[in-house]
Amino acid sequence: MKRKVTTLIGDILGLIGAFVIFIIPFLFMVVNSLKERTEANLLNISLPSEFQWSNFVDAFSAQNYQILTAFKNSILLTLFSVLGLIVVGSMAGYVIQRRRDKLMGTLNALIAIGLMIPAAVMPTIWLLQFLHLYKTMFGMVLVEIGLQIPFTTMLYRGFMASVPRELEEAALIDGSSVPRLFVSIVFPLLRPVTATIIILNACTIFNDFTNPLYFFPGSENVTVQLTLYNFMGQYSSSYNLLFADVIIITIPMLIVFIIFNKQLVEGMTAGAVKG
Amino acid sequence: MKEKRVYNIWFVVPALIIFGIFFLLPILISFVFSLMNWTFTGMSWAGLRNFKTFFSDYSMTIGIKNTLIYAAATCIFKVVLGFLLAVFLTSGIRTKNFLRSVAFFPNIVSTIAVGITFTALMHPSKGLINKALAVIGITGPDWLGNTHLALGSVIFTDIWKGVGVATIIYIAGITSIDRSYYEAASIDGATSFQELMKITLPLCRPSMNSVIILALTSGMRCFDLIWTMTGGGPGFVTDVLASIVYKKYAAGYYGLSTAGNVIMFILIAVIAIPLQNWLQSREEV
Amino acid sequence: MKKQLAVLLTAAMVTSMGLSAVSVSAEDATASDGEAAESVAEPEWEYEEATITLMIDTDMTDAGLLAVCDLAKEKLGITVEVEYRVGGTDGDNLVKTRLASGDMTDICAYNSGALLSALNPSEYFADLSDDEWIASRLDATYASTVTVNDALYGVPACASQAGAVMYNKDIYEEYGLEVPTTWDEFLENCQVLQDAGETAVIGSFADSWTTQVVFLGDNANLMALDPDFATNLTNGEDTYAGNEYALASFQKCVDLNPYYNSDYLATSYDDACDMIYNGDGAHWICLTQALSNIYELYGDNSSIGVFAIPATEGDTYLTTWMPTSLYLNKNSENYDAALRFMEFYISDEALDCYTETILPDGPYCINGYELPDNAYPAVAEDMQAYFDSGMTGLAMEFLTDIKGSNCMQITQEAGSGQTTAEEAAAKYDSDCLLQAQQLGYEWAQ
Repeated sequence: MKRKVTTLIGDILGLIGAFVIFIIPFLFMVVNSLKERTEANLLNISLPSEFQWSNFVDAFSAQNYQILTAFKNSILLTLFSVLGLIVVGSMAGYVIQRRRDKLMGTLNALIAIGLMIPAAVMPTIWLLQFLHLYKTMFGMVLVEIGLQIPFTTMLYRGFMASVPRELEEAALIDGSSVPRLFVSIVFPLLRPVTATIIILNACTIFNDFTNPLYFFPGSENVTVQLTLYNFMGQYSSSYNLLFADVIIITIPMLIVFIIFNKQLVEGMTAGAVKG
Repeated sequence: MKEKRVYNIWFVVPALIIFGIFFLLPILISFVFSLMNWTFTGMSWAGLRNFKTFFSDYSMTIGIKNTLIYAAATCIFKVVLGFLLAVFLTSGIRTKNFLRSVAFFPNIVSTIAVGITFTALMHPSKGLINKALAVIGITGPDWLGNTHLALGSVIFTDIWKGVGVATIIYIAGITSIDRSYYEAASIDGATSFQELMKITLPLCRPSMNSVIILALTSGMRCFDLIWTMTGGGPGFVTDVLASIVYKKYAAGYYGLSTAGNVIMFILIAVIAIPLQNWLQSREEV
Repeated sequence: MKKQLAVLLTAAMVTSMGLSAVSVSAEDATASDGEAAESVAEPEWEYEEATITLMIDTDMTDAGLLAVCDLAKEKLGITVEVEYRVGGTDGDNLVKTRLASGDMTDICAYNSGALLSALNPSEYFADLSDDEWIASRLDATYASTVTVNDALYGVPACASQAGAVMYNKDIYEEYGLEVPTTWDEFLENCQVLQDAGETAVIGSFADSWTTQVVFLGDNANLMALDPDFATNLTNGEDTYAGNEYALASFQKCVDLNPYYNSDYLATSYDDACDMIYNGDGAHWICLTQALSNIYELYGDNSSIGVFAIPATEGDTYLTTWMPTSLYLNKNSENYDAALRFMEFYISDEALDCYTETILPDGPYCINGYELPDNAYPAVAEDMQAYFDSGMTGLAMEFLTDIKGSNCMQITQEAGSGQTTAEEAAAKYDSDCLLQAQQLGYEWAQ
């Protein structure tokens, strides 16, 4: 009985805390995205005196519907990068965790370095130009993969520790080839951590502003964060449009989050935990 | 089992190639360029002159100080608050799934969007925070304009955005603790607080180490949020290393800005690598 | 080139910048330049379909430019794809990255003067000095600010403007105030307003570039007191901290601190436009391009007057800014079409189209082009008076190549009461030294 009361109090306090700290800022964005300019600029959290849905239309149609191109680019970039990361990251994480030798020690050190260092801008541009990959989606995808490989491999490596070796041994005795073993037995076991990796990497890459700014320039190459940034310069005193834009560009990640949310914690179990 | 045959090295090669070419190689090139002098008349060997100039820059002291404060503060709060939140969200409460999602939610919003929102919330005269304070009779300060508070306000926002990930990592660690420990403890008559200190805390140390390293390194690299919220200002009070490097780059001082990047890398490595080794050695004991 | 010019400029400015004097300035330019012969006939505009790209920043009022683009499509068959970039530090960063990576649009809009020099233009932009039409159209003073090492790079993208005090005339009338002629009088006016509970000066520190104008806009006063300062600065023979008049410009940033609105650190450029128009503040020191912005928002700006930043001692001069320019990408694949567009851009027809869309914030820098009669009152009356009496001078960035890169942060710091004028000047000097090194000046190495 006493325990029930305590958890009920916990529930109530948790909801109140969540409301004040986390939900109010989002409510604030939503109500202001629906106001008229001068009303939104008062920065109130009151309901709009009149719901101005046209803000979303305006945010959408700004600069010749640039946001549509931006959506296409950002979604493709995120999709390809995350797919690439899953393929190369899972393979690397698998072997790095299973083998224990000097080479793997070096690779672990590289992962640590990759987690820490910021990317070098100009040299990366020269390199992309040298490879004729500058301003191409392919080049941008490779850069994003390069940046996120350490984190992804780290999560896969950690999760592998909780996958028993016996399964692999049994399959090998049955005469399975090594690539097949990985694809049909090991990879399916990595599903929870893969879901985590999808959410975290998708958020990072979709919300990335600086890297596409440098490595993927050009008006036909805009990404959603860049439209928001341009928007900020152009409509710095039109909070209604700014917030409408923010909400529009948050929706794709919201969808990803809803789809994979259930597996989030499960995937983290061991994932980030067992270094 | 023949480790080397089954765990074929070729599995690592694709990751290594992409990482090596698109991440490591440019960094190595930047090391070379940090030693060069780039002017309009051409490029010449500068030795350590860029480093000297960078260190003698008037915003350098405050930049290093702020970087360390920022990294330490965001890291400590994420480690502690994340842990407390995780304990709370793994307790018996019914709304835990909902609350977990809510805590993670800021992470799906882009840094720029978060920056815009909090700049509005922290507006000195119109912002919601100061209006709420006014209701209880307090005149709120200028959160982002006051030179003593500006950095703290950005740190708060960073924690708000990032604590969800820390919490998720902790939750993963806590839920993977074998329930039998708790059963044994409760038979021995341990209080919940004792369980927390003697079982939960030590057994989720690996998660804590991950949180520490991730929070610390991202704190030291932090740029987007500071840049959107204060631009390093007012004046230079919220400048961090990354924003100084960025401004040097924007001004066209490429040698200087790559030197700044190298300094940042060294500073991060000098702090994070020993820390990581130390944390790992504690984990294994 | 720049160095000798600095000496000539003050004289050239006086005549060539005058609104009503525009028509005579062609002769003056000929006299002082010697090269630009009598007016060259306008080229025949051929119709030939082409598509070019043009990059402008979001801080620029784009309505006029877009109108000319539409006209160009109709008349020349050139479709202009306008790419917007961010302004401020991020914009500089983007432009430099795009140039260095060889990926600039066909035409790029960017500042004239020192900031152009800092782009290393000979590497990236086409030299237009052989184009007789362009060379003959450009006002000599303007041309000097887009000329680096004898090569001419730009055509004006918009009108010139001033960095000055905009004030709300209604408030001045209400309190019976006079336009101040000295800095002390200005501060007295501010004090009267503050004592009456008004916001004396609007600070728009959230857009840090606006804080520079107090300092940069005092340059004409500084140059009037020490005409050699720009040359000496360029030659490394003088510094801001070591020159009493230069120091006074920084002092003005510090002096204003007590008079700002309470939330000045969170007030943006756009907020300030609203405030000055609605009388929520009496003064605002900014570039007069704000007049267009206010006009676009409210359809009126007649309650706003302009006066030059008052001098500490001696007569007060109005500091003027040369327009943003259009530069032609040297390696453009559409070089001919882009050049044709730029030639067209400075024709009378294009300028008429431009001024029908937005009114100018100051004179154009095109020889022989008369301004429309319906200019904003602040331009036609207040600013004109300075031009008529020859009391104008250029901002420093058009007199020397050296502009410190952290100027806006330094003035923001001084304006928010964190540093003294001496400290700010010393910081700015070290920035200037860095820039001089970058430009390859002997004395700075």
